[in-house]
Amino acid sequence: MSGAVLAAQGMRKSYQSGDRRIEVLRGVDLAVGAGESVSIRGESGSGKSTLLNLLAGLDAPDGGTLAWGGEPAQANRRAGFLGIVFQSFYLIPEIDALANVLMAARMVKAPGAAERARAKELIARVGLAERATHLPAQLSGGERQRVAVARALMNSPKLLLADEPTGNLDEHTGDAVVELLLGLCRETQTALVLVTHNTAYAAKTGRQLFLRDGALS
Amino acid sequence: MPWYIYLAFKQLFPSGRFPFFTAISVLGVTLGVAVLIIVTSVMGGFGYEIRRMIVETEGEIDVKATGYLSDPKDVLAQITAIPGVAAATPYVKSVVGVQANGRPAYPIFRGVEVSTIESVANLSRFTNPRGALANLDDDGVVVSSQLATSLGVRVGDKIEVYSPLLIEKLKNDEVFFPREFRVVGELYIGHQQLDSSTIYGTLRAAQELYGLGRSVHGIYVRVKPGIDEHGVVAQLNATLPRATTRAYSWMESWADFLWVLNLEKSINFFLLLFIVIIAAFSVMSSLLISVVRKTREIGLLGALGARPRDVALCFCAQAFIIGLTGTAIGVGVGFGVLAIRNDLVHGIARLMQRQDTLRQFYQFSDLPSHTLTSDLVLTVVAAIFVSTLAGLLPAWRAARLKPVEALRSE
Repeated sequence: MSGAVLAAQGMRKSYQSGDRRIEVLRGVDLAVGAGESVSIRGESGSGKSTLLNLLAGLDAPDGGTLAWGGEPAQANRRAGFLGIVFQSFYLIPEIDALANVLMAARMVKAPGAAERARAKELIARVGLAERATHLPAQLSGGERQRVAVARALMNSPKLLLADEPTGNLDEHTGDAVVELLLGLCRETQTALVLVTHNTAYAAKTGRQLFLRDGALS
Repeated sequence: MPWYIYLAFKQLFPSGRFPFFTAISVLGVTLGVAVLIIVTSVMGGFGYEIRRMIVETEGEIDVKATGYLSDPKDVLAQITAIPGVAAATPYVKSVVGVQANGRPAYPIFRGVEVSTIESVANLSRFTNPRGALANLDDDGVVVSSQLATSLGVRVGDKIEVYSPLLIEKLKNDEVFFPREFRVVGELYIGHQQLDSSTIYGTLRAAQELYGLGRSVHGIYVRVKPGIDEHGVVAQLNATLPRATTRAYSWMESWADFLWVLNLEKSINFFLLLFIVIIAAFSVMSSLLISVVRKTREIGLLGALGARPRDVALCFCAQAFIIGLTGTAIGVGVGFGVLAIRNDLVHGIARLMQRQDTLRQFYQFSDLPSHTLTSDLVLTVVAAIFVSTLAGLLPAWRAARLKPVEALRSE
C-alpha cells in the first residue's frame, strides 16, 4: 500500500521446540494506512502476539521486510513512531499515573511544559484526572489499562499496536477500554492494529483479519 | 534530566521513601566511609600531633653539628641572616643519669638559651608554673611531669644529675660529685615520650655537665609564618659549612617515624577499604535482585524505545546514587564520631578503669584527629567509584535483556 503507516511483507518467524522447529508465521503481508483500524484474531498459540512483536520491532523476523511510514523499521524510531498497549498494562510501579504517561515522552527528550500539559490532557481524556497522582498499585485493572492507553498515545504516534488490551479486564471495563482506544485513534487519525480474541471488539475495527496457519486472511 | 537518571531516583526512593534494600545498600557504604574517615583522621592526628610536639619544642628546623659547634654565635648570625628565618637558639642535648629519693632515671637533658628559647619553641605554656623556663637559672631545672612523678619530686625539691663527663673523671681516679639541681617547674606537653623523659636546664648548665665550654650540639630554627621550611633548609645547607653542620626539617629528623606512621595509615586505608568493597557487593546483589524483579519493567522500557545503553546507565546511576548517598552520610557520621571521640575513648577507659594504660599506650593524653583534605578526597572518590563499579554487572545483565523475552518472563 502506497503511503502506508505500516507495511510488512513476507514476515516469517519460527521457534525451536526440542527437536522440532515450529513455524509460527509463514510469510505475513500486512499494510495499514493512516487512521485505519485493523483487528487481528486467531486461536490461542496462532502467533498473534508474535506478529505484533514483529510489527513493533521488538523481535527480529526470520525473513521479510517491515517499514514504518515508508521507511525501514528501526528500534531508535520506535518511541516517536508507535505506541504499544499490552495485555498486562506494564506500568512502572514506583511512579504515579501521570509520570507513567510522561515516561513515554522522556524516552524521546526531557519533557517540558508542553509535554506535561499533554500528559495531563491525556490522563483527563482517559477519565483519570482525579487519579493522576495515584500509584499503579492504587488503581484498578481498568484504570491501569487506561493509563497504558494514555502512555501509548503520549508521543502522538502514527501507529498504535494493542495486544489483547482487554485480556485482563472484565467485560464491562474491556468494552470501555476498547471504545476509548477506537475513539482516540479516530480523533487523532492514529492507525490501530488490535489483536483480540473478541469477535465483537474486532467487528468495531475497519478491517478484520484472521491469523491461521501462519498467514493472515 | 535523562529518563534513566529520573527512573534511577524513583526506583531507589519511590515517593520519597527509603526502601529496605536501598537502606541496607546505603548503610554498608556509610559504615565503610565513616570508618575510613575516622581511622585516617586519627592516624593523621598522630602525625599532626607529632608535628605540633616537635615544632613547639624544637622549632621547624634543627641545625645539627657534626660533633660540636664551637662558635655558635657566628653560625647563629649566618642562620638569622637568611630570609624566612624568624628566630634561632642554640642547644645542648644528651642523655643523663638522674637520681632523687633513691630512684634513678635516664632522661634527655636539654640545655637551652633561656633568653631566646621562647622565640623558637613555645614551651612556657606547657610548664607549671607558667613561665618557669623563662625564669630558669643555672641551678634550676624544669622536669617533665611523668618523670617528676616517677622520681617522686615536686617543685622546690632537688635532684642529682650524673653526666658521662663524671664517668670520664672516674676513669682517671678523680673524685666526682653529681651536679645538684633544684626543680623549679614541671613540664606537661601531652606526649608520653616527652613527658616521661625530659629535663630542661640552662645552656650553660648543660655545657658544664658535658664539659663543652662554649660549644653546642646544634641550633633550633623557627621559620616565619607561611614560609616553606624545606626552602629554608635548602638555603641553610647551601650557606652553612657542610663539614660541621647540616640542617634538617622536622620531617627529615623524624623521617623514619613518619614513614612508619604513613605506612600504617596506608595499610589501614586499604584494609578498611574492604568494608566499602563488601558494601559494594551488597549493592551489586541488591541491584541483581532488582534486575530479576523488574525484568518485565526492563522489557517495557525497551518497548517504549529505551536503548540497551540507557537501560545499563539506569542501573549504573542507581549504584552511583547509593555510593553518593552512603558517602555523604558516612562523611557526616565519621566527623560526628570524631567530634565525640575523646568522650567515647575516655568513657570506655573509665568503664574499664584503664585511663593510665591508655595514656601510656597511645603516647597522647587525648586521641588526636586531623583530617587531611587529600585523605578525605581519596576516601570519597574511592567509595563512590567502588560503589558505581558494583552497578556494572547488574547494568550489563539488564542491558542484555531482549524486550520480548523480558516482557514474557514470569
